[in-house]
Amino acid sequence: MTEPSSKKIRVTVSRSDPGTERTFLVERIEPMMVLDLLIAIQREHDPSIGFRYSCRVAMCGTCTLRMDGRAILACQTPLEPDRDKVRLDPLAGLPVVRDLVVDMKPFFEEWARVKPYLEPVEGLDEPARIRPDSPERQIIDPSLDCITCGACYSSCGIADHKRDFLGPAALNRAMLLIADSRDAAGAERLDAVTASDGVDRCHYIYGCSAVCPKGLDPAAAIRRLRRWRLEGRPR
Amino acid sequence: MCVLHAAQAAPELDITIVSKGAVGRSGCTRMVQGGFNAVLSPDDSFELHFRDTLEGGKYLNDQELAWTLINDAPKVIHELETRVGCFFDRGEDGKIRQKAFAGQAFDRTVHRGDLTGIEIMSRLLDQTFRIKPRELGDVRALDLLLDEAGEVAGLTMLDVRTGAVAVLRARVVVVATGGAATMYRIAAPAREKTGDGVAMCYRAGLELRDMEMMQFHPTGLLAGESRLTGAVLEEGLRGAGAYLYNAHGERYMERYDPERMERATRDIVSRASYQEIMSGRGTPAGGVMIDISHLGAEEVERRFAGMVARCRQIGQDLAREPVEISPTSHFAMGGVVIDEYCQTSVPGLLVAGEDAGGVHGANRLGGNGVAESTVFGARAGDRAAIVAPERDLRDPDPAQVAASVDRALAPLQREKGPSPFQVTRDLKEAMWEGCGVVRDREGLVRARERIEELTEQAAQIAVPETPQVNNAWQETLDLANQLTVARAMIDSALVREESRGAHFRSDYSEQDNAHWLRYIVARRGEGGETEISLHPVELTRKRPEPDGPPAEELEREDLEEGREDVKR
Repeated sequence: MTEPSSKKIRVTVSRSDPGTERTFLVERIEPMMVLDLLIAIQREHDPSIGFRYSCRVAMCGTCTLRMDGRAILACQTPLEPDRDKVRLDPLAGLPVVRDLVVDMKPFFEEWARVKPYLEPVEGLDEPARIRPDSPERQIIDPSLDCITCGACYSSCGIADHKRDFLGPAALNRAMLLIADSRDAAGAERLDAVTASDGVDRCHYIYGCSAVCPKGLDPAAAIRRLRRWRLEGRPR
Repeated sequence: MCVLHAAQAAPELDITIVSKGAVGRSGCTRMVQGGFNAVLSPDDSFELHFRDTLEGGKYLNDQELAWTLINDAPKVIHELETRVGCFFDRGEDGKIRQKAFAGQAFDRTVHRGDLTGIEIMSRLLDQTFRIKPRELGDVRALDLLLDEAGEVAGLTMLDVRTGAVAVLRARVVVVATGGAATMYRIAAPAREKTGDGVAMCYRAGLELRDMEMMQFHPTGLLAGESRLTGAVLEEGLRGAGAYLYNAHGERYMERYDPERMERATRDIVSRASYQEIMSGRGTPAGGVMIDISHLGAEEVERRFAGMVARCRQIGQDLAREPVEISPTSHFAMGGVVIDEYCQTSVPGLLVAGEDAGGVHGANRLGGNGVAESTVFGARAGDRAAIVAPERDLRDPDPAQVAASVDRALAPLQREKGPSPFQVTRDLKEAMWEGCGVVRDREGLVRARERIEELTEQAAQIAVPETPQVNNAWQETLDLANQLTVARAMIDSALVREESRGAHFRSDYSEQDNAHWLRYIVARRGEGGETEISLHPVELTRKRPEPDGPPAEELEREDLEEGREDVKR
C-alpha cells in the first residue's frame, strides 16, 4: 500500500529547544494520519521530537495539536493525497511542556470547578429505569462522548484569552449532569455555571463546536444552560 | 476503581496514582468498545457465565478468580451506574440493555454504544476530582523496591516531563499497568502497554503464570504502514452477524467451526483467519475481509458509528463494503500469580487486571476484560485499605535504588548505539513470526535466540541527550520491559507441548487434557534464567465437559504427579 518513494510532504513543527530542526521532508505512505507523520519524523529524521499519543484511535484525547492553526486529533486526521505541506503547533492557551506537548492542567482545573462527578439522588439504589427515547436522554446522549482532548479549549477565543471562563468542555459536562435525573446537585451546578465566569462569557464564536473531534456541540450546551437559567431545569 | 474503593474504605489513606501516561486517559480501559459481561437478567445465571468463561478459557483458569469475576461483575455494574455516574445503553423498557457477544450462551454484555470504555474511564476520572488523590501523571514507575525482609517498600520513578528520578515510599503498592500485547507487528493496544508491571514484578522475583497465553483479536484493521494498523474492529460486529470471507469469497469459518461460524471464540476465529492467510487464500496485503453491509448501511452506521468512522479514516466504508482485517495481538491472559484479594507472595504488593494471571485461563471472552479490570481494581482497593494500616513504611535497599536508577539513566549517557525504534520494530517482527497465532518448537527456539540478540542490542541503545519529554528514552525503557516479558512468554510457550485456547502449536495441534490441565509458572532464577514449573489446575468448582477424562481420574493423576519442576 506504500506510495512510490518520490512523494514527500514538507512538515514544519513548532519546537521548544533553540537550534533544533523545524522543517522535515517526510516520505508519504498511504493511508497516512498526522500521527504517522510525527512517528516518521521520530524514526527517520529526529528522535528528539516531543509529541504525545496513546490509543491512536480517537479515544484517549492525548494527541491533540494544531494543524495549520486548527485543533485536531493527530491520530484521526488523514493527510489528503494531494497535500504537500503542513504546519504543526501545540494547542493554544495551555503551557507548552516541550515541542507539541502541552500541560492540560488549566483545562482540568476548569473541568473540576463544575463538579464533574455525579451526586446521586437519594434512593438511587438500582440502575435508573430511563427509556432511551426519554427527553433527558435525547439531550444527554448526543453530547456524551467527550474525551477531554482540549481541542475546544484551544479553539475558544475566550478560554484561550484569559483564565476567567469555565470553557466549553466543562460547561458541556455541567449541562449533562444538570439534565441527568439521577443527579442531585443540578441547582447548585446551574448557579455555578451561570456565575460571572460562566455561560455569559461565551460570545458564540463557535470555535468549540467547529473543532470537536467527536462531533459534539458545546456551544449548544451553553445555549441550553442559558435557557435553563431563565426557564428552570428540565424535570 | 482501586483508588475509589481504597478512599471509600479508608478516607484517611494517603493515595498516590503513578502513571507514565495521562491519568485516566492513557491505557486500554478507555479503548474498550464492546462492553462488560455481567449477569443481570433472572434468565441468566452465575453458573452459565462461569461455564462460558471456563469453556472460553479451556479450563486453564484459576477457578476461584474466575468465580470472583463473575460474582462481583453485577455489583460493579450497579456501582458504576448508581455511584460513579456511568449510563449504559437501555432497552425500550428503560432497563440496561445487554447484547450478544461471541462465546456466550446468554446476551449479557452491558455497553454504551461501541465506545463503552470512554464512558467508564471518563466517569471514573471524574471521581478523582471528588477524591483528590495525589496524581503523578507522566511519571514512570521503574522498579519495585523491597526491604531486607523482601516486603514492599515502594518504587523508583522517573518523571517523563523533566527526566528527574525519585523514590516513592509506600506501605502498599498496587500494580495495574496492563499487559504487553504491543510487542507484535500487528497489535491493538495503546502504546503504553509494554508489560511494565509484569516485568517489574518478574525482576522482583514474583511468579508469573500462563505467560504463553496471548490473545489475538480476530478483527484488527489493516492500514498499511499507518499506526492505525492493528486497531480493533469490535467484537460486536461478529455478534451482530458479520461474515468473514477469504480472498476467494468463501465464508471460511464453515471449515473451522460450522456451528458457531463467525461467533466462535476469538482464539478459533483468529487461528482460522491466520491459516487462511498462510495458505495463500488471503488478500495481497495479507488479510481477510469482514462484511456487515448485509444489515443495511443505515443500521450499521447507527449501531457501529465508531467503527464506521474508524474505517472511513482509511478510506473504507464498513456500512457498505467489506473491510480488510487481520488477527491482531490484543490481550495477555498471563501475569502475576494472585489470590482473590489481589495479593501476591510479597507482603504489601497487590496486582490487579491484565498484569495478573489466571482469571481468563487460555483465552479471554470478549466483555470479560473491563469486567476484570474494574472488579479486581475494586478488590485491590478494598484490600489496600485493610493492609495499609497494618503495615509501616519500610526502608528500601539503597543498592537496589542505585541499580534501578543507573539502569534507567544509562541510555541517556551513552553517546553511540542502536536506535530504540529499530530494536522495537525487530522485536515486533520476531514475536509475530516466532510466538504468534501459530507456533512450533523451531520457530520458538529461533525467536528466543532473536530475543537474546535484541536484549544485547537494547543494552547498547543511545538516545538524544534531552532528559525532558524524550520519547526515544522512554521507548528504550519500554523495550527493556517488553524483552523481559517476551522471554518469559517464549519460555512458557516452549514448555506447553499441546494446543489450548490462544496457544496453538502446529507441532502439537491437539488439546491434551490428560497431561496438560496444568499451568506453567515462570520466575526469574538466581542467574537471570527463566525457571519453569508446572502445577495442576485446581478444579475447585467445575470439571471440563463433555469429552475430557472423568474428573476422578484427573484428580488422581494430579496427585500422583504433584508439582513437576523443570529448570530451563
